[in-house]
Amino acid sequence: MFTWLKIACRNLGKNRRRSIFTIIAIGLGFAAVNVFGGFTSYIFASLRDGYIYAQGNGHLTIFKTGFLTAGKLDLRDYLLSAAELRTLTDVVRGFPDVLLTTPQLHISGLLSNGEVSTIFMAAGHVPSDVRRINSQAQGMIGQLRLFTGKPLEDDHVYGVGLSAGLARQLQLDLGANAIAMAPTIDGQINALDVEVWQRFEAAIELLNDKLMLVPLTLAQALYDTSSVDRLTVLLRDTARTTPLRATLTQTLRQHGLDVEVQTWEELSPFYTKVKDMFDIIFLFLFFIVFIIATMSIINTVSMAVMERTKEIGTLRALGVKRLGIVGLFVMESAMLGLLGSLLGLGLTLLSWLLVHTLQPTWVPPIITQHIPLEIHLVPAYLVLSMGFLVVLSIMTAIIPARRAAHQSIVDTLGHV
Amino acid sequence: MPLIALEQVCKDYGACETRVTALRGVDLTIDCGEFVAIWGPSGSGKSTLCNLIGLLDSATSGTVRLDGQDVTALSDNRRSELRNRTIGFIFQSFNLIPVLSALENVMLPLHIQGEGTAQAKQKAMQRLSDLGLAAYMGRRPHKLSGGQQQRVAIARALITDPRLVVADEPTANLDSDTALTIIDLMRYLNKQSGTTFLFSTHDQRLLARVSRRVLLRDGMIVEDTTHTAS
Repeated sequence: MFTWLKIACRNLGKNRRRSIFTIIAIGLGFAAVNVFGGFTSYIFASLRDGYIYAQGNGHLTIFKTGFLTAGKLDLRDYLLSAAELRTLTDVVRGFPDVLLTTPQLHISGLLSNGEVSTIFMAAGHVPSDVRRINSQAQGMIGQLRLFTGKPLEDDHVYGVGLSAGLARQLQLDLGANAIAMAPTIDGQINALDVEVWQRFEAAIELLNDKLMLVPLTLAQALYDTSSVDRLTVLLRDTARTTPLRATLTQTLRQHGLDVEVQTWEELSPFYTKVKDMFDIIFLFLFFIVFIIATMSIINTVSMAVMERTKEIGTLRALGVKRLGIVGLFVMESAMLGLLGSLLGLGLTLLSWLLVHTLQPTWVPPIITQHIPLEIHLVPAYLVLSMGFLVVLSIMTAIIPARRAAHQSIVDTLGHV
Repeated sequence: MPLIALEQVCKDYGACETRVTALRGVDLTIDCGEFVAIWGPSGSGKSTLCNLIGLLDSATSGTVRLDGQDVTALSDNRRSELRNRTIGFIFQSFNLIPVLSALENVMLPLHIQGEGTAQAKQKAMQRLSDLGLAAYMGRRPHKLSGGQQQRVAIARALITDPRLVVADEPTANLDSDTALTIIDLMRYLNKQSGTTFLFSTHDQRLLARVSRRVLLRDGMIVEDTTHTAS
């Protein structure tokens, strides 16, 4: 075995230029896939953490069953009463994975500046709970401030946040007063004075002229109810989202609560669409790298077979079997794959170090400030890439190597 | 029982209009310990005959027996094993592996057999020393002269103590003096170990040194003579 390894190594070194070019091609492909993979990992993590922590949506949201469909037309039957909320909260907080629960009530109505009015859609939440959710974020997300102005307060019920488009439309600056009007759950018209405390950019461009953030108490007052329409649940570990969702659903049903539990991923179509888009781009990139690596290896092995035809004949004459000849070239190819992968690993680490040192910034969609651009090192990607490239190198070499092994010994010995 | 026995062996290349008959109904027996030269003009079938006897090729018809065993229909793997254990080869162009040293080249047939490195190395060093190449063991083929390379090839051919050594025009790429030296060396080894040597040549000067000469012409044996070598 060692002899064949020696022959393989030395032959790679004998054709140094060709070997180096193949190794570089594989290495660059490896680095491209992993640097892009690391970038998409950063994007996905940022989007995920942005939705869960920065926007205060938590990992799980519990609704009355049917709220997301029939509930949009008639809210009354799909609200969680104060008693139901208490039971729900007690059950959910009994799970050690749960860090925090907070109720919300989403409302809609008309907002007026005294002269003109327009539609609004508002999330009524507990400001202190949302601040606590924000504080659980790691890294850059935890430092994000998604609004200008001052944070909403539990005690100051009438301080609200407006999306930038809505504020522009009604010409409401920070500190301005407005009137929020909405039908109560019993169908009466209600109106309350509000004060603009903050402005923010909506996550979805189309809603940037409609969204508001209001304290839960204001939302309940406007709707004249003590009920809420959802319970937001923050977990200690994002990885526990799916397993806990199943357990939670079962437990809540056992307590006689007719509710459904949705994960953050199910409630964030933006995340899903962006992820799908990047996955497709990644697939294209991967395919291109795959083609380049395959062609490089085929070229190298085919050239090696052609140049060493007489050597193949000699080895066969000395008693090496066909499989042994295949094994020899496959071994050389595997070494190219391995060396290329190691080079790629080095280039990936170098890229990561470069970005980590230079700390470039960028302004991503929905955020108005510069944030650091990062590349994540994903061990699973690195290991899988290496394994895949080595296997690809082996598989690609088999065809030319088999052809070499099945040549007539006499013809190969007579090859010039 | 002869070591090699060919019965009505024919070998054709190509098909239909391009068919070339290299051997026509050849009958030949070679006993253990013989030192045989196959000679004749170019295209007479010398190399083809050596290839068939060395199990590098298969006959179109007829029977080839090696040590009493019919090798005509053996599988490729079995033929490879027989070549490794029973037959040594010396080629016109030496055919040493360029990336291996002289010592590693000689060890190669033993590694193919599965012998351990330490043992193979010891045997190979002894062989190379016997042939006066002790000082060149670590050198790669491109740093050896033609004569030295052919001696390494001879050491490689004999390392497995084969029954038969097949040499196809072993002196064609050597100067006259070196060619005679190589043939004398092969004759010496033949006498010392009793290994059967079969080589092809078209060089008349070498024929004086062999005890048996088989003349081929147009794919047929036209003369098979035994006499005292000088």
